[in-house]
Amino acid sequence: MTEKKMENNGTVGAGVNFERIRRITGYLVGTTDRWNNAKRAEERDRVKHSLTR
Amino acid sequence: MIQTIMKRNGEVVLFDASKIRNAILKANSHISGERMSDYDLDKVTAMVVDALNAGQQKDAIPNVEEIQDMVEEKLIESDLPKTAKAYILYRAEHQKMREMNANLMKIYENLTFQPSSEVDLKRENANIDADTAMGTMLKYGSEGAKAFYDEYVIPREIAQAHINGDIHIHDKDFYALTETCCQINLLKLFKNGFSTGHGYLREPNDIRSYSALCCIAIQANQNEMHGGQSIPNFDYAMAPGVTKTFRKQYFKSVAQYLQVRFGFTFEQADEWTSAVKEDVGKDVSLGTAEAYGKKLAAYLVEKMEGKISPEEAEKAAVYCQSNAYNETDNATYQAMEALVHNLNTMNSRAGAQVPFSSLNYGTDVSPEGRMVIRNLLQATEAGLGDGETPIFPVQIFKVKEGINYNEGEPNYDLFKMAIRVSAKRLFPNFSFLDAPFNLQYYRPGDYDSEVAYMGCRTRVMGNVYDPNREVTCGRGNLSFTTINLPRLGIEAHGDLQKFFSMLDDRIDLCIEQLLHRFKIQCSKKVYNYPFLMGQGVWIDSEKLSRYDTVEEVLKHGTLSIGFIGLAETLVALTGKHHGESEESQQLGLRIISYMRKRMDDESQKTHLNWSLLATPAEGLSGRFVRIDAKKYGKLPGITDREYYTNSFHVPVYYPINAFRKIQIEAPYHALTNAGHISYVELDGDVCKNLDAFEAVIRCMKESGIGYGSVNHPVDRDPVCGYNGIIDEVCPRCGRRAGEPVSLEKLEELRKKYPNVPLQHCGCY
Repeated sequence: MTEKKMENNGTVGAGVNFERIRRITGYLVGTTDRWNNAKRAEERDRVKHSLTR
Repeated sequence: MIQTIMKRNGEVVLFDASKIRNAILKANSHISGERMSDYDLDKVTAMVVDALNAGQQKDAIPNVEEIQDMVEEKLIESDLPKTAKAYILYRAEHQKMREMNANLMKIYENLTFQPSSEVDLKRENANIDADTAMGTMLKYGSEGAKAFYDEYVIPREIAQAHINGDIHIHDKDFYALTETCCQINLLKLFKNGFSTGHGYLREPNDIRSYSALCCIAIQANQNEMHGGQSIPNFDYAMAPGVTKTFRKQYFKSVAQYLQVRFGFTFEQADEWTSAVKEDVGKDVSLGTAEAYGKKLAAYLVEKMEGKISPEEAEKAAVYCQSNAYNETDNATYQAMEALVHNLNTMNSRAGAQVPFSSLNYGTDVSPEGRMVIRNLLQATEAGLGDGETPIFPVQIFKVKEGINYNEGEPNYDLFKMAIRVSAKRLFPNFSFLDAPFNLQYYRPGDYDSEVAYMGCRTRVMGNVYDPNREVTCGRGNLSFTTINLPRLGIEAHGDLQKFFSMLDDRIDLCIEQLLHRFKIQCSKKVYNYPFLMGQGVWIDSEKLSRYDTVEEVLKHGTLSIGFIGLAETLVALTGKHHGESEESQQLGLRIISYMRKRMDDESQKTHLNWSLLATPAEGLSGRFVRIDAKKYGKLPGITDREYYTNSFHVPVYYPINAFRKIQIEAPYHALTNAGHISYVELDGDVCKNLDAFEAVIRCMKESGIGYGSVNHPVDRDPVCGYNGIIDEVCPRCGRRAGEPVSLEKLEELRKKYPNVPLQHCGCY
């Protein structure tokens, strides 16, 4: 029963964002909304690591 | 004549000369020498009053500050310089306290009237929703407590070092209250039942009650400590529950068989099964069911006197075994599903938080332990009610050679499964019992010798206080404090000798602070912790009585010093971090080895467990750098981002090969005995490339990593229920963030995908 909003015109989901689950310091958080500014910046900066040996 | 004065808040009250006299008396009593007699006190007070009268303009009302200025003046005039000085200090002190109160009130105002999206302070811990009533209440308490401790409890010099960003005292709001965390041994707790402090619970008799009570134990303990809670031996702890359920199901199957085959009544069947238990034995379990079945078959043939053939009796036994197995397996799945759901929805700490829970497992090779692990992984893979990824518990799969690492080992299948689940759900993380610093404690088959990791990364194993008790269960961290390492790097200006000498001073300060806090912690009594100590969760606490202090048993815990921003420190010292220069890596290892040595030396000196922590730093990630950027300006590669790099990590923004990153970070795991974690960030849908995922985990193990995990994007569209990677557009329903989808479209998708959530609004 989260942010799903019903609209009169037979649609659903207006204003609903995607959930992006990320590891914060070892534990997971289901949304970055509750992350502090510094951790948000860090998450934004994370680069992927290549797997070529 | 002066009649009234104006207080600081503008209120006009009657003038009372005795207040002036009292203030002078107080200042005078704070110093040695210059002892003032009653006569002296009255005289100076009269001088002040006379001067105020003389200087009074018509109808003007003097204010408090003017009066205090006059007191200072008259004390000096009366040749009482020491008293005057004490009075000035007293004034300044009170001024500061008023400012503190004003600051605190400003904080309270923000907490009350600003949404968390606007106030960083409300997002210090992402596990707390500070927009709710209880979340706000928790923050009031937290902020008020910090102000109180700074002013009245923590020694001035140390409080100042925290405020100015030299060090960070973690969980300062709990400074004088409790400890960080504990590794709970459920086997010990469940034996003969336990009390949460709010009610007594019998020893559980079914895997479903085992898992339910596990959640309750975590919740109860979370309310008595300021950190997270861990079960170090989840598979071993749940296994007896599986055995009990299997046994119950087995004899139920026997009774059912007898009712159907011989037309027995329920009571008759019950009598018969009692006889079976009596004569054949009641200790049937998953591992012994086959042998037991043979004995059961023979027993039936004998007692039924020709009414059942040996072949039929054998079939009956097979039926009982497989039926009991299936029922138990189902029950275990339900138990694990309920556990995952509970740990994501239950509340602790006045309802503001879900308990911060960690489960370690992977090494129990008994059929019961294996059933627990497999079902927990399956329940995690399936996700929550709408298919969401479970956020809690933090799951840690213990990797061990000979147990689950190589093909042919008893739990190898579960290791493979753990990789598959982690590739989808980010958990489990992986801990490595073969890393030399973990292996040294390992005794085969003894879970108490298997290193466990708590929550973010905390690790508690070595024990100088009692070297015979180097065990996981019942122990935890007492408190920890982090050193601002980059600041030392900046202030050393390239002078390594200066760097190490400042580092020594900081470590000394932290030791003093941790001991100060430890002394307060030690003064607590068993009754302060009705569950943790009252129920014998903490090691040896069962030997204490209600009014005993917890001092001796706390000594099994750890006092830890942590650090942040090794990368920025190295940039400050050499121009390069350890990801880009071998020379910097060597210096990094030298610095962290030195810190570890200081901890070891202190342990030998005090017989307390001092350990070095690769600090998790959630709230702290931005605090030091904010202060340092103000102090030193934006220094490239040091203070020019919003965060300091976590512990010894290679900076998140630095492009590097996954295996290289692991190899650079691994040696720091051996040094940080209070806890550590390394991450690798993988791109794309790793579910489709499990070999790559496994290669990373195996590289961690071979490189000597203690604890690690793989990060990869896990996105979900709550509207259509899609789980996977979502770039801009949801691959399933085609909407962008915030866009609506038509109900017809969802109906259409539901035919194809069973996990499209129902729109729970009653409109359907």
